[in-house]
Amino acid sequence: MSSSTKSNSLLDWADQRYQIRGLIEFLKHKEVPIGGHSMVWYYLGGTTLFFFTIQILSGLLLLLYYQPGQDTSYETIRYITTKVPFGWLIRSVHVWSAHLMILSLVVHMFSTMLLKAYRPPREMTWVTGFLLFSISLGFGFSGYLLPWNELAYFATSVGTDSVKSVPVIGQWLLEVMRGGPDVTINTLYRFFALHIVVLPITIFAVIGMHLVMIQRQGMAPPRGHETSPRGMPFFPNFMLRDLLLWLMCLIGLMTLAVFLPYGPGLPGVEWELGLKANPLAPAYPGIKPEWYFLWIYQLLKEFPAHLFGVEGPEAALGLVSVIMGIWALIPWLDRKSRQGLPTPGFTDYGNASILFIGYLTLKAWDLGGGGGGDVLPDPAAVARTCAIIILGVAAVQIAIRVLVYHHWRFTTTGAVLLQIILHGFFGMSYLLAGAISFVLAMGVYIIRYRGRERVFEGAKS
Amino acid sequence: MPNTPLEKQVPRRSFLDILLGVGVLGAAGSALFPVLRYLKPLPLEAAGGPVKLSDDDLATIESDHFVIVRVGPKRVIVFRDSTEEVHALAAKCTHEGCTVQFSFEETIVWCACHNGRFDIDGRVLSGPPPKPLAEYAVQTSDDGGIIVNMEIA
Ligand code: HEM
Ligand code: FES
Repeated sequence: MSSSTKSNSLLDWADQRYQIRGLIEFLKHKEVPIGGHSMVWYYLGGTTLFFFTIQILSGLLLLLYYQPGQDTSYETIRYITTKVPFGWLIRSVHVWSAHLMILSLVVHMFSTMLLKAYRPPREMTWVTGFLLFSISLGFGFSGYLLPWNELAYFATSVGTDSVKSVPVIGQWLLEVMRGGPDVTINTLYRFFALHIVVLPITIFAVIGMHLVMIQRQGMAPPRGHETSPRGMPFFPNFMLRDLLLWLMCLIGLMTLAVFLPYGPGLPGVEWELGLKANPLAPAYPGIKPEWYFLWIYQLLKEFPAHLFGVEGPEAALGLVSVIMGIWALIPWLDRKSRQGLPTPGFTDYGNASILFIGYLTLKAWDLGGGGGGDVLPDPAAVARTCAIIILGVAAVQIAIRVLVYHHWRFTTTGAVLLQIILHGFFGMSYLLAGAISFVLAMGVYIIRYRGRERVFEGAKS
Repeated sequence: MPNTPLEKQVPRRSFLDILLGVGVLGAAGSALFPVLRYLKPLPLEAAGGPVKLSDDDLATIESDHFVIVRVGPKRVIVFRDSTEEVHALAAKCTHEGCTVQFSFEETIVWCACHNGRFDIDGRVLSGPPPKPLAEYAVQTSDDGGIIVNMEIA
């Protein structure tokens, strides 16, 4: 019996019971669109899934030794990293892969946004994707506390504190999250339950929905390439490429995990265990959350104690909620692209938000501020250095957009850059600069909208 | 009307619908209520009464100029300023809850998280904290002992 008939009989065996041939046929006919410059972006969902799989496996391994508890959380992580053979590697893989998963997820989300892949009929794919993003942030936030070290303790105290600004139920929510009025070991128990049980179950369900939707509807072709006859069969062509990429991800992950077991050492991207959490020790300068929360952290810092009768943190978090809300509802806000028309304004909005978030993140790193130890960095120097960097990034971004993609709408980008220039070079307060830029951008939008109405009315008469 | 049986059925059906709806809502509510109550932890009932600082705490004040202790459920920072006067303030910053420290050189209470500064009576000097730190009454005894009392309103 030759091996091919053997494998065929296995296939027959499976096919008789589970109709597996239909699935293979389906995958062979399923196509991934080729066209425009978009090909590379179709892989990022897959890499996110890869890193998620690594999270499950490495997380399960950590669970074999980790025990939550006042006298065990810190001690067992310490034991894992110093005593258990290759324990340091397992922890390093779990943490690196967590960062890479979120990085891959963020790029995936921005690329689907800029390709307008959220257009009907794929609105719910976008919404489930947004949920996956939120759940992943929850994974990162809850996992961060588990080692019960000083940095995690302080960062979690500050991070959860903002919950009290939620209208009406804020205080209740805060105590439910923390298991008491302050962060204690009870908080760690709750976060542990979230990290190990609640979030995994939820994310499995949502990943399932996300993938089923993508399977049913196929990949969104880039706008303007809908009728492109070219496509790449998902199986085997795309899948093999996917596998090759996963292999590269694995090699990259292992290299980072082995050579930088405690992270690259940037604030927000390091996980040296440090001292055990001690609620009776004072906080020290430079306590920062993980890098994907830094822009919110920095925004909170830009707000004064009081603003128009509300407390600064409340106003800042209100703003963040509005930004996130707009992001979640984009498929419905971007009305013209629902009809298949180009919406350069939304493309610009997506590009501008990268600059906006980038500037805040760089500022949170105190780039160019001097400082260190007990010396506080100079805020004006930080604002200027970060402005120079972001202007450089913006120049490259704009050049690519104009030359390669022939974009011509830059209102929001212009507003974001104006704010950065006013704040970074002219020392204006971040909020005032933002308000001025916002008003100007709104003015441009209103004038443009009015102009369009007039053209429309002219056409009618 | 009475001779159309269909019309009679409709109110009966919508009555059953309402009954079902009330039943489902009632069941959901009676399941949810205990869960919501369960989620919210009980208030801490540790005594808030006067706390006498231990010898270790006093030694820490000698070496670091301040110490942070628990008074009931609260954390309190106790420090001695350059005039040898002892102060006790809530140690939890009113901004986002970081633990504050006392800077002897500057005679201020400082929050490292966002550079919030308070004077030694807890009033905000600069930075983002929106409210002053609560002040606690202290008693010092002749043998150098320190007792922290409940919060001053
Ligand atoms: C999207 C998925 C996940 C993300 C983003 C994530 C993220 C994290 C992060 C950031 C930490 C803190 C690590 C540190 O600073 O030491 C952590 C710790 C931990 N995670 Fe996860 N995690 C994920 C999934 C899982 C899963 C599925 C499990 C188990 C089934 C798990 C088990 C653990 C354990 C036991 C720790 C404590 C050990 C340690 O801190 O090194 N994680 N996680
Ligand atoms: S938490 Fe104290 S200044 Fe922000």
